[in-house]
Amino acid sequence: MLRSERRSLLRFLTLYALMAVAVVTLVSYLYYRSSERIMLLEKKAMMADYAATQIRRLERLHERFPRERTYPRDPRFRSAIYDVEYRQIFSTMRNNAVDFLRDIYRKYGVIHFVKLLDRYYLGAKYLFIEIPDDRRWVASTVRKIALGAGGSLLLLGILGWYLARLFVRPMRDSIELLDRFIKDTTHDLNTPLSTILANVEMIDPARLAPEDRKRFERIEGGARSVSTLYEDLKFATLESERPLQIEPFAMEELVQERLEFFEPLIRARGLRIHRDLEHAPIRADRQAMARVVDNLLSNAVKYNRPGGTVTVRVGPGILEVADTGRGMDPETLETLFERYRRGDDAEGGFGLGLDIVQRILRRHRFTIEVHSRKGEGSRFTIRWKES
Amino acid sequence: MHKIVFLFLILAATLTAKSAEQNPFDRNCVPCHTSVGVSLRKTFMNALLVYSGKENMKAGLAYFLRYPRKDISVMGEKYFATHALKEPTTLDRRELEEALEIFWERYKVIGHLR
Ligand code: HEC
Repeated sequence: MLRSERRSLLRFLTLYALMAVAVVTLVSYLYYRSSERIMLLEKKAMMADYAATQIRRLERLHERFPRERTYPRDPRFRSAIYDVEYRQIFSTMRNNAVDFLRDIYRKYGVIHFVKLLDRYYLGAKYLFIEIPDDRRWVASTVRKIALGAGGSLLLLGILGWYLARLFVRPMRDSIELLDRFIKDTTHDLNTPLSTILANVEMIDPARLAPEDRKRFERIEGGARSVSTLYEDLKFATLESERPLQIEPFAMEELVQERLEFFEPLIRARGLRIHRDLEHAPIRADRQAMARVVDNLLSNAVKYNRPGGTVTVRVGPGILEVADTGRGMDPETLETLFERYRRGDDAEGGFGLGLDIVQRILRRHRFTIEVHSRKGEGSRFTIRWKES
Repeated sequence: MHKIVFLFLILAATLTAKSAEQNPFDRNCVPCHTSVGVSLRKTFMNALLVYSGKENMKAGLAYFLRYPRKDISVMGEKYFATHALKEPTTLDRRELEEALEIFWERYKVIGHLR
């Protein structure tokens, strides 16, 4: 999957997931509150009866006070009385954090029901009835919520997956089409390209007339660049699944060989090569690394300015290819390694090269770094662990 | 010797009289209520039924005692069928306030329930 594709898909999925979670949470919360309400309503009738009983007892105590001083108690509930100034007159309640504004509420494991007296027996204006909150309803509500939320999240998840697939299908389809097309063409390119290259090798430029030699060099350069493209295509479509064949070899030799291969092309473009090759042993798939070197060189040639320089440096654990081209802005750098994108639309091409480079290096666990500055050129640095 | 005892008794009597005088509740409210036979406990419980809290009761009674009216009394219509309304108090504001404070503290329910 392409990086840009993955990013927009990720953005879509995050948004979708956030929304799904928010909706489910809200619904769960509302459900919880409403079951709390229902439970309180059920308790309320019972507690109102308790309150009426308690008020009758308070009335009797009021008449007998102070001969009788024992506050009426009941095994079914606890209670408290408060005066008009919110002062506690007496309480048998466990939780005395009372709320005078609500008629029934849950707090710290108890349920309080508040009854306003119209005759203030013993000075009591507020009678609180307290019963323990058995929390059985919480367990059953939570179970229902968990089930409901889980189910709807699952459904939303399935829907999200389906939507995400719809979302990326156009991109996926076009990529698959391109892959198939390339696979087909690559196959047909092989024979004519081999013929051209074999015949070009057989011609000795020294025996050509000077004006023909120039033309011949351009033909040779062109054929080689088509050949790199062919190798890339073959690698990208046909050989990408091939297991790596790791072997030790000398990197500078490979680079030297590839430079020679590119020489006609470089010369045809009027570029200079600056090379700095030290001994650099490496353990890697030689054929694959050749694709890496080719691509870096071919980019350095393709995106250079006329009369510019291609700098190639090889040392222990490091390969660097730099050009003196236009360079890239940070935005371009971000998507640099994506398949089917091109550094520059003016140059044309499939935009396969850096995708291949990236894949190969990733499989080898080598790193690549790009330094680029607009107007000054770009530098690609590959590093590997010396063995 | 008798003289000394006599003098001492006089002193003690004036002292107790003085202390009774210093407390407007025991000086003013109690004797009258005892003589008319209206239990202060009973009036307190009636007042509590209507006024509930301390400050509310003190404010309500201070007004009633100064300007007694049947329709704002806590005694109820039945009481006035057989009894007369009391006269306005002779105490000044400060004394009345003090008397009511003592009235509340002496008869209050808060702190006396078990
Ligand atoms: C002169 C006699 C007299 C004095 C002094 C007096 N009372 Fe009373 N009081 C009565 C009588 C008679 C009633 C019942 C009739 C009525 O309420 O008017 C009464 C009623 C009351 C009531 C019931 C109030 C109500 O709303 O009906 C209270 C409470 C009370 N007295 C407290 C006091 C206090 C406190 C004092 C001292 C500041 C006091 N009284 C001084 C005669 C007295």
